[in-house]
Amino acid sequence: MTLQAMKAELGFLSRPDGSSVLTQGDTSVIAAIYGPGDIKLSREKIEKATIDVVYKPKSGLPGCDEKVDERMIRNICETSIVGSLHPRTAINIITQEVQDSGSLLSCCINASSIALLDAAIPQKFTVAAVTCVFDKDDELILNPNLRQEKECKAAFTFVFESTSYETVATTSFGSYGKEQLKTALAACKEASKTLFTFYKDLLTKKLSKD
Amino acid sequence: MRDNPLSICEREFILAAVEIQKRIDGREPYDLRKIKITFGLDYGCCHVELGKTRVMAQVSCEIAAPKQTRLNEGTMFINVELSPMAAPQFETRSQDLNTEITRLLERSIKNSRCVDLESLCIMAGEKVWELRVDVHVLNHEGNILDCANIAAIAALAHFRRPDVTVCGEEITVHPADERDPVPLSILHMPLCVTFAFFHNGKCLILDPNEREERVMDGKMVVSMNKHREICTLQISGQMLLEKDQIFRCTNMAVKKVIVLTELIQLSLENDSNARAAGEKFGFAESVETNEITTEYKEESEVDMSDIDDQVVMATQNGNSEDGSIEELELDMETKVTIMFEGTGMIGQGGANTWDMDEDMESDLTEHKQKPQANSRSATIAKHIGGDLSGESEEEDTVMLQQEDIGLQSKPIISSEEPTGNEIDLTAALAKPRGKKKKSKHKH
Amino acid sequence: MEHVGKIFMPGDVLSNLQASQKSGKVVLGPGLKCDNDSVFVNKPGVLKHKEPNFYWIDSHQKKYVPTRGEHVLGVVTNRMGDVYRVDIRGSEPASLSFLSFEGATKRNRPDIKIGDLVYGKLLCANKDIEPEMVCIDSTGRSNGMGVISCNGGFMFTCSLNHIRKILSPQFNLLKTLGNSLPFEVAVGMNGRIWVKGRSIKETIAIVNGLNSVEYMDTNEIKVMCRKLLDTLAGF
Repeated sequence: MTLQAMKAELGFLSRPDGSSVLTQGDTSVIAAIYGPGDIKLSREKIEKATIDVVYKPKSGLPGCDEKVDERMIRNICETSIVGSLHPRTAINIITQEVQDSGSLLSCCINASSIALLDAAIPQKFTVAAVTCVFDKDDELILNPNLRQEKECKAAFTFVFESTSYETVATTSFGSYGKEQLKTALAACKEASKTLFTFYKDLLTKKLSKD
Repeated sequence: MRDNPLSICEREFILAAVEIQKRIDGREPYDLRKIKITFGLDYGCCHVELGKTRVMAQVSCEIAAPKQTRLNEGTMFINVELSPMAAPQFETRSQDLNTEITRLLERSIKNSRCVDLESLCIMAGEKVWELRVDVHVLNHEGNILDCANIAAIAALAHFRRPDVTVCGEEITVHPADERDPVPLSILHMPLCVTFAFFHNGKCLILDPNEREERVMDGKMVVSMNKHREICTLQISGQMLLEKDQIFRCTNMAVKKVIVLTELIQLSLENDSNARAAGEKFGFAESVETNEITTEYKEESEVDMSDIDDQVVMATQNGNSEDGSIEELELDMETKVTIMFEGTGMIGQGGANTWDMDEDMESDLTEHKQKPQANSRSATIAKHIGGDLSGESEEEDTVMLQQEDIGLQSKPIISSEEPTGNEIDLTAALAKPRGKKKKSKHKH
Repeated sequence: MEHVGKIFMPGDVLSNLQASQKSGKVVLGPGLKCDNDSVFVNKPGVLKHKEPNFYWIDSHQKKYVPTRGEHVLGVVTNRMGDVYRVDIRGSEPASLSFLSFEGATKRNRPDIKIGDLVYGKLLCANKDIEPEMVCIDSTGRSNGMGVISCNGGFMFTCSLNHIRKILSPQFNLLKTLGNSLPFEVAVGMNGRIWVKGRSIKETIAIVNGLNSVEYMDTNEIKVMCRKLLDTLAGF
């Protein structure tokens, strides 16, 4: 099983406090972080940072599906960020779809994760998401493209954390058996390790001249 | 979030520098910043970098009814998104800047009739193509307008719409693999050039950056094509301009416009050559890999050899490392207690002290059967079961099936919700009452 | 210790930290957190160590988080009674009393306008309360701090690691540049730098020079400085 080629750039945009562009296969996403910054009094949380996620589709206005994805990224980031270090502040995460060729959600999560590293927001762990599908012959495919995503029997997205590779979030659709879930989880877990190494390589390169 | 405040010291320095024809970024007064145009994998997607200002435009189209006043013309809609990514103060929608840019783009592109809208007519008075140009401002370092204009025009020139054939009353839209999509006919390319004025209109510079924009007295936007035709001209701000200054600006603008048009044409050509030759193209390719901030990882194999063994082992004895899923599932089976449809309980909460009437109990049994019906994992299925049927508040609401609303690509929308360690039952919990009513009705 | 100088990611656990011989304690700086007797990294970066027992993570960051005792460059944004609100690029503005200037009394107020640049020190910075800035040291002397008069100088912003690089004795940037191109400079740890050269042209050159060094090593910096001078001389 193969995991597609990946390419990432840190500090892609000059204005945000942290930003990244991530391309996995053909799917590209830009993510940007602002914060910890000032916040409206009404939205302020006295004991931790308020995390906001905005997902921007390439054409049209965000609909229900996009809001669900936004919510998911927000929940994931909320678990990874140590918000108590910056009470009464806002951390805004913005993800922009650049090219959707399948596995967009996992690419968004990974791009946000890289942007959080670029912004050096304190985190308990980093996260990495992997999408996989079972095609009609019950073959497992990692990071499927659009066609494979459409024709699959079942699709999963698993999000893992970097310390003990536990699952942070999952989402799935289609019909599948217990066995398949296990295979998918195990495969994605293995693939996520590649992503974590990639994150580290990326940071190592950036910090190499310090 | 608040924007960076402008200090007196920056203001005075910029003013002093402009007076002696110098700029902070080392440009001459009439220089544009470096421009980079790249196209996406999809048709009609264009990224433009003007210095560090970055704009992405995407053109899309669909079939719609024409305007009553122009029955044989397609329509065009320009939507400018000042993404909160571009600058911290762009958090809230509907700002003056957004309206200003949208209006100027409309005037420059739509009102100059650079796209032949008549060719977008499929059946006069009934069906025409509706073009939509989404302009996303991704990074605000000044002069968004010029950058957005270049992106929008280049995206329109790059766009291909699907081919259609009309046979009597029937319209067939051919997908891209059946027939090659058709480019739009672009009659000319109007491009905006912005001039900023300082010292009461005495000093002028081209393509102001973010700091210069905040210091300037006013600006003049000229939209022009390479045939020296002015498409839009707008002067804003508090300053007085002399007539020959406007002439000077337009003469200068036309030179820039010719260079820009050539650049757009060249990048369009490069892109189509790369596509034809089957080379790599698109936005991702434009990201340099040899810079210090970038990293590239080639396609890699994920070692599955021991995973298969693990899964087999896990299913055999259920005790190995991966057996945890099974345990989790079993846990969920026991821990999610459904009192009646629409509510749930997980974890160590005490026993329910609420009375259960017959209705509730019958609901409970009915609900419990649901998960078995589809083979989604138990946790998710219960959640959906609660969620979907909770939609109807009133007794005589008709429930739409997925097929009815044409949502085929994603079987069940709410299955996309995070269902990791926490199950979001808030939606389900919110409407237990409507639920009860409804199921009563059923019985 | 073998960890020092290596790159760590959030979630990594550090062990074998060298404790002070006297107190048996380890001092953890930014990016490190102690939880249940183990030390966790929570920012990506390089682990640094200072004798005897100081450890911290050097990370690349743009947003400033106020820290007590740091020198910052602020922009006055508002005036509320006796205090000025000063933007220091943190999550909230710092307060600066008009009395915390050298020689200021209730009668003799400093002349400060909105938009002025002030160079000061953070007297108090805590995640839970508003930061407070002063422009005098404990003896009441200005010690170089105060309002920066703006005739000819320019202020620009950059990332925090960039600031540390500019100040770092290892790279010796300010001196290399200043050897042939004299200039005045005020560097705030909050990512703001104010420079003033002999002329506008020179100031612009210095700004661009300082701006370009973020990812340069010592040799590259030397080359850059030489090139900059050549361009200025009109090569």
